[in-house]
Amino acid sequence: MSYWISILTEACIFSIMALGLNVIWGWAGDFDLALYGYVALGVYLTIVMTTGPALSPTQYILGWHLPYVLAVLLAVVIVLPIAAIVGAVALRNLREIYFAITTLGVISVLYVIVQIYTPLFNGFNGIAGLVTPMAGPLHISYSNYAYFLLALCAVVLLIVVVVLQRLSSSPYGRAIRSIRDNEQAAAAFGRSVFRSKLTAYVLGAGLAALGGTLFAAYLGAFNPSAWAPQEILTLYAAVLVGGRGNVRGVVAGTFIVYIGFIELTRYLPNVGGNAEFGPSVRQILIGGLIVVMLKFRPQGIFPDRHGVPRSARRTQGTSGATGGGWRDRLPLLAGRASGGRPEQDVIS
Amino acid sequence: MTDAALLEVRALTKTFGGVTAVDDCSFSVRAGTVVGLIGPNGAGKSTTIDLVSGFGRADRGSVRFDGEEVVNRAPHRISRLGLIRTFQAPREWGSLTVRDNVLLGMRAFGRESIVRNLFAARRVRREENADRLRAEEILEQFSLAHLRYDRAETLSGGQKRLVEFARVAAAEPRLVILDEPMGGVNPVLGERMSQAIKHFVTRGSTVVIVEHNMRFIEETCDEVVVMDLGHVIAQGHYSTLRDDERVVSAYLGSVDDG
Repeated sequence: MSYWISILTEACIFSIMALGLNVIWGWAGDFDLALYGYVALGVYLTIVMTTGPALSPTQYILGWHLPYVLAVLLAVVIVLPIAAIVGAVALRNLREIYFAITTLGVISVLYVIVQIYTPLFNGFNGIAGLVTPMAGPLHISYSNYAYFLLALCAVVLLIVVVVLQRLSSSPYGRAIRSIRDNEQAAAAFGRSVFRSKLTAYVLGAGLAALGGTLFAAYLGAFNPSAWAPQEILTLYAAVLVGGRGNVRGVVAGTFIVYIGFIELTRYLPNVGGNAEFGPSVRQILIGGLIVVMLKFRPQGIFPDRHGVPRSARRTQGTSGATGGGWRDRLPLLAGRASGGRPEQDVIS
Repeated sequence: MTDAALLEVRALTKTFGGVTAVDDCSFSVRAGTVVGLIGPNGAGKSTTIDLVSGFGRADRGSVRFDGEEVVNRAPHRISRLGLIRTFQAPREWGSLTVRDNVLLGMRAFGRESIVRNLFAARRVRREENADRLRAEEILEQFSLAHLRYDRAETLSGGQKRLVEFARVAAAEPRLVILDEPMGGVNPVLGERMSQAIKHFVTRGSTVVIVEHNMRFIEETCDEVVVMDLGHVIAQGHYSTLRDDERVVSAYLGSVDDG
């Protein structure tokens, strides 16, 4: 039972992160690789703002004793300008693979700094001590805490879904998708491409950080071996499976990928007594899933059908793309697949 | 020139590496007219309209739109003044529906703010409903009504051209620059495009057309600007320019060349 509680809690938290990715990549079309850095900052900042001063030999910044909720808000608020700076540099002139490489550079630098520079977040050893936040003031017993945390994550996810769903179907959702589809045409019709992309980037990073603050409550501790830049690929798989751009589809995709794959690989034996065997197989399966989805259903299980009213949906096929080879249909890196432009291609 | 010029290009120059694509180019477009911009391949027509619409940076020169200097301004800023351009190949927003493509042509940018969509959603919806009615009219006008919920990337080339024109109609621009609108268009559709262009003018737009189809230029344009090697070599009515020596030699190559 408690196993399922923790799996569902994780799926809710990862859904929030995947929705952040969906804003940046699904709506604005930018293949960002730095997103997990904003998640990590959210986790670290929450812990250092709630657990009090560092006790020697541990060392980290801030060391405040803030209530958890306040720390959550502050952590997100701190991440926003950081993402704005990264976005302002990376989105000015860079697109597609060049943007992806720049953001990969950003998270690699962040990862190394966090590891090496111990005064920041205690380096390799990481930080710990966030135990059952909000349990005290709310009089929640230790045995019930897991249920409380699941409810909290589910409520936050629900709020995020409602807000994003409203944006998705609004004129904002239309404008940001037009920039993804063809940014020169969008500029020719008066839309500020840079500003819109930057806004979406900061919004997505903020959601990633929000997911991180909940992740902090779930994990209680964090260190560089608990996260790595490549965690982002699982989020990409989730968005791709669910349906790029579709808010509810992305949540479904996250639940499918996380729960499905954890369950699938759960009963694998430890080959050669190696405990890493199961998780490694999981990574390989997720990689395979990305390839299979791109080839056979690039629009995802629940395709994004912005602007098509419910009444008109039944008459149309679910296919999000017609004609052309799969390479033309959904390049991972390109803003949008259309007309089979040969210079746009997936990572191969 | 009695009427005030809506667009005035003066001494515009642009060099790519060692090649001067646009060289001291000057012409003007009077309000309410249809002007053809013609010239052989490589004459600098496309570069000129890129510079005028902000899609390229000029090395020198001036572009005045309704008296305002706009050279080297960001394209979306120029667009918001009422200058809309199209591209040689239709650049539809492929994943969006035909109706959304038309709605995006309408220049209602305030409605696209995140804050307004979250906190003033009802007002946004009210404004949106009014524009949807207008979008329906435009869709009817361009015979696209039956395709309104189709994703634009699923349309044929000719239909994409119509979407492009419908989008421009929705924008109600003061000046529209059409970059080779007749490329890959059949004669029936071409006729509809001529009508659409006349319709733009009756709705108060001024039109600049870059085109190689001379019959279309002759039938549609009040005036023609001829470019060659980055310069404007002539400007005037088509019938007077047809026999102009410089124009003929630019197109056919001079007999003395050898």
